[in-house]
Amino acid sequence: MRTVRSLALVVFISSPADAAIETSGTSIPTAPSATFLAVAIGAMVACALSSFFLVGRVSERTHIALAMLIVLIGAFCLLVLFGEAGRNDPLPAVLIMAALIGMFKLMNRFEARSTSRLFGSGGLFSALIKIRR
Amino acid sequence: MVSPTISSGGGCTPRSSGGSRFWSRLMLGITFGRSELPRNSLYFVNWWFDAMIVGGISILVWAGLSIFDRGINIETIFYFAIIASIFINFPHFSATVYRLYQNSANVRQFPVTAFVLPLVILGAVIGSLWQPEVIAPSFLLIYFLWSPYHYCGQTVGLTLIYAKRSGFIIGPRERLALSGFIFSAFVYGFTRAAPTGANFYGMTLPTLAVPDWVSGAALAATCAGTLFFASVVISWCIAQKRLLPPIVLVPAAAHLVWFVAAANAKVFLALVPLFHSLQYLLIAAVMQLQLRIGGRGGEHSWRSIKIEVFRWGLRNIFGGAILFIGLPVLLSWLPIPFLTIAGVIAVAVNIHHFFVDGVIWKLRDPATSAALMMNIRELGGAAFVGQTDTEIVGASSAHSP
Repeated sequence: MRTVRSLALVVFISSPADAAIETSGTSIPTAPSATFLAVAIGAMVACALSSFFLVGRVSERTHIALAMLIVLIGAFCLLVLFGEAGRNDPLPAVLIMAALIGMFKLMNRFEARSTSRLFGSGGLFSALIKIRR
Repeated sequence: MVSPTISSGGGCTPRSSGGSRFWSRLMLGITFGRSELPRNSLYFVNWWFDAMIVGGISILVWAGLSIFDRGINIETIFYFAIIASIFINFPHFSATVYRLYQNSANVRQFPVTAFVLPLVILGAVIGSLWQPEVIAPSFLLIYFLWSPYHYCGQTVGLTLIYAKRSGFIIGPRERLALSGFIFSAFVYGFTRAAPTGANFYGMTLPTLAVPDWVSGAALAATCAGTLFFASVVISWCIAQKRLLPPIVLVPAAAHLVWFVAAANAKVFLALVPLFHSLQYLLIAAVMQLQLRIGGRGGEHSWRSIKIEVFRWGLRNIFGGAILFIGLPVLLSWLPIPFLTIAGVIAVAVNIHHFFVDGVIWKLRDPATSAALMMNIRELGGAAFVGQTDTEIVGASSAHSP
């Protein structure tokens, strides 16, 4: 847990005003954002470890789904950290919008059977249409 | 009623006369020369029901709101939207959940979606409720952008279904044109709505300072894509010597209304989730009927259909109420405004739906895939597939339930 908190501390330097780091004592920062990041990083680690320990026991599709969850959690953390910039500046706003749309497109293939056409998927029922063809 | 006869070469010679013949031809896309009329019905129920549900109602409502703009009480419409949500919007989420978890085979097939994903979303909910000012805005922003994106997927999907049913093969070129204007329209609609910051369960949806040129570029792409798709359709009509059935274009037309024509109409936008849910419920209901009645041992009768639709509908209304009302009430003891709790839960249910929705329609179950090509009459007792085209016309214009 201490390691995770330290990791969170490193990531948290992007938002120093919120950190309330106590340098004099031994306590670890407990700012809400740091705790949130620590939990999120923990979740990402858990997903990665699950994927690692499940090698050979689950399908490739499940491994990819777990990897996508890591992407999802990471993207959410980045949005929490830097989302504010998109509310004021046009360039970050465009970048955030494009990145989110890209993520949605990726998530369209969440736990999909085939990953050969990762970016070739269509809408809601397109897979079934393909089946019919 | 039109009574076409199909020659061996596929030519069609209508025998009856009158204005209804034209409309029947138009609705069914019956050939005026060589053609391959699909053996399935074009519709899940019948032409007017399908057309209304997949977009007709929304286009009519938009037209009505545009005409009677000044005499409309906005609050009344919002109240109507809230009440209607209980019977249309909430059940559409419940239907997705029900479809995934209703049998263990589905759950085993998609374990991450069924078990791990809800935990991740639960984490986001806890974070949002714990830090409503820091974390919740990002959660809301994801929902705000993902929701219309999700609508695009459904529009494309519905268009593909009806295109397939009408024999209009959508290849890569057609698909590019279709997706191009559907998704551009979404970007346009989002960028038009984004600066205003809509209200969602008492919370202000976070905005993105997207510059105006993005909106302009998206509109230009929408127009270009629409023209491209229109040219593809016209080319197909000329090559096939028949008109494309309008039902194929209804979802896309409704989509353009939602995101382009009504991009600034806040009152209408409050109703868009209902229209989207209606589309979904039609397909989900048909799927449910196919699974329950169309499967082995199912009793093919109108009575069975009514009972199953009633049972399924009631179940989903109840399930929707649990998701959107029950869960927030369960958490109402938290020292947070109840509306905030309800809003965060609603976002979580939505995001879960976006994932599950992308998964459950990929089930490679023959019964599931067959459902998207069926007509409800098949389950009502009448054998539909393989009937003559005369009967198809009759089915769509006279004998529909």
